[in-house]
Amino acid sequence: MSMRLLRAGLPRLVILLAVMLVPLGGSGAHEIVGNRLFPATLGIDDPGVNDELSIPTVAVFKTGDDPSFRQRDISGEFSKRITDAFGVSFGVTHSHFSAPGGPAGMGADGFQNLETTFKYRLVKDPVHEFILSVGLSVEWGRTGAQSVGAEQFNVYTPTVYFGKGFGDLPDTLSWIRPVAVTGQVGYAIPGRRSTATFGIDPDSGDPTVDTEFHPRVLQWGGTLQYSMPYLKSAVIDLGLPDFINRFIPIVEATLQTPVANTFTSGTLTTGTINPGFLWIGKGFQIGVEALIPINRQSGTNVGVIGQLHFYLDDLDPRGIGRPIFGNAVARATPIAGN
Amino acid sequence: MAKRLSVRHVTSVGLFLLPLLLVTGQAMAHALLDRAEPRVGNTVATAPQEVTLWFTQKLEAAFSTITVTTAAGQRVDAGKARVSGTQMSVSLRSGGAGTYHVSWRVLSVDAHKTEGSFTFKVGQ
Repeated sequence: MSMRLLRAGLPRLVILLAVMLVPLGGSGAHEIVGNRLFPATLGIDDPGVNDELSIPTVAVFKTGDDPSFRQRDISGEFSKRITDAFGVSFGVTHSHFSAPGGPAGMGADGFQNLETTFKYRLVKDPVHEFILSVGLSVEWGRTGAQSVGAEQFNVYTPTVYFGKGFGDLPDTLSWIRPVAVTGQVGYAIPGRRSTATFGIDPDSGDPTVDTEFHPRVLQWGGTLQYSMPYLKSAVIDLGLPDFINRFIPIVEATLQTPVANTFTSGTLTTGTINPGFLWIGKGFQIGVEALIPINRQSGTNVGVIGQLHFYLDDLDPRGIGRPIFGNAVARATPIAGN
Repeated sequence: MAKRLSVRHVTSVGLFLLPLLLVTGQAMAHALLDRAEPRVGNTVATAPQEVTLWFTQKLEAAFSTITVTTAAGQRVDAGKARVSGTQMSVSLRSGGAGTYHVSWRVLSVDAHKTEGSFTFKVGQ
């Protein structure tokens, strides 16, 4: 459910932008690569493939519409490995628009379209803490409520995901070793090029046609993380309380740029910068981030997003937390000779 | 399709998730390094006689190893590691002052494989 899109319910141009606007509820697999734990992130999908459950992800913010209104999203996502390196996830989001949002300006409630993501891990290099995956997300049209902006057509988004930890830096830079970056680049392709709406001019009585073009959108983003668990277990144990050693301060960027079929949408990049933290528990993690819009069209206020995320492969490694096909062992890293 | 979520619904979800949180605090997980002696990245005055690692999960002895080398790459561990529950130790031969590199690979009892490494210093 990476780059989940928030929809506004007002003017068509704003809707076109909002369709690809503020990404939310991104929550992918955590992944262990050598010394490194790549945690699930809230804004973008992380590069891992695993069995996990994000429920709930809650976001509250003010949209970039004019006039702006408050939107609250509650979402969930279930990710399941088919094989050790290939997985599929299912996501759903419920949106609540406060007035003056919604078609009638009185607010609206409803589910966004269902979303399915297929992801395959191509590279996993424990020594250099590097991981690379590819995926395809499908937003299923007509499965959500039009009152909250759910589209009536499918949207297909092929995406590349990557992660790199800095654990291979020399000793002189050891304090930077806990740093990791992750990122994703996707290309959202609407299943319909345009939508024509027919009407009658109230003054002349002549028939009118209003054409809305659905843009292809570059969905891109990244994270910068500093892992306290990594600092303690692989660089230096400072004797800090265990509670502190479980934090991962993080900054995410989630951005969208319409790049084709932009006749009615324009090409303005929108999105948010999300500073916050993750806290890693045993079998779960908690995340809280601010949503800072990068411009007026991305939002009118700082919002907030929070998530509770369960590692099913840890909670039930021989049941729901194992791949459907293949070894029951979750190959966090290959062990020579075994 | 549209369905309004009330405060009562959200509260119900929260009450449902609370026990899950409590359960997960005791759940099995990947065996990650919890602490070590000598401590990760720290300096000790004299060369230790052994290195001991504590993990977040019980280990399978047959597939868990520790390798300790000097900065010159000379191996100074005595070989087979001793495993007891979440703890794994290996004896060291004298290697003098300097930086020691510890590499570990473990298989937890819930069949997750993990590995990692760190350094500590002696007499510097």
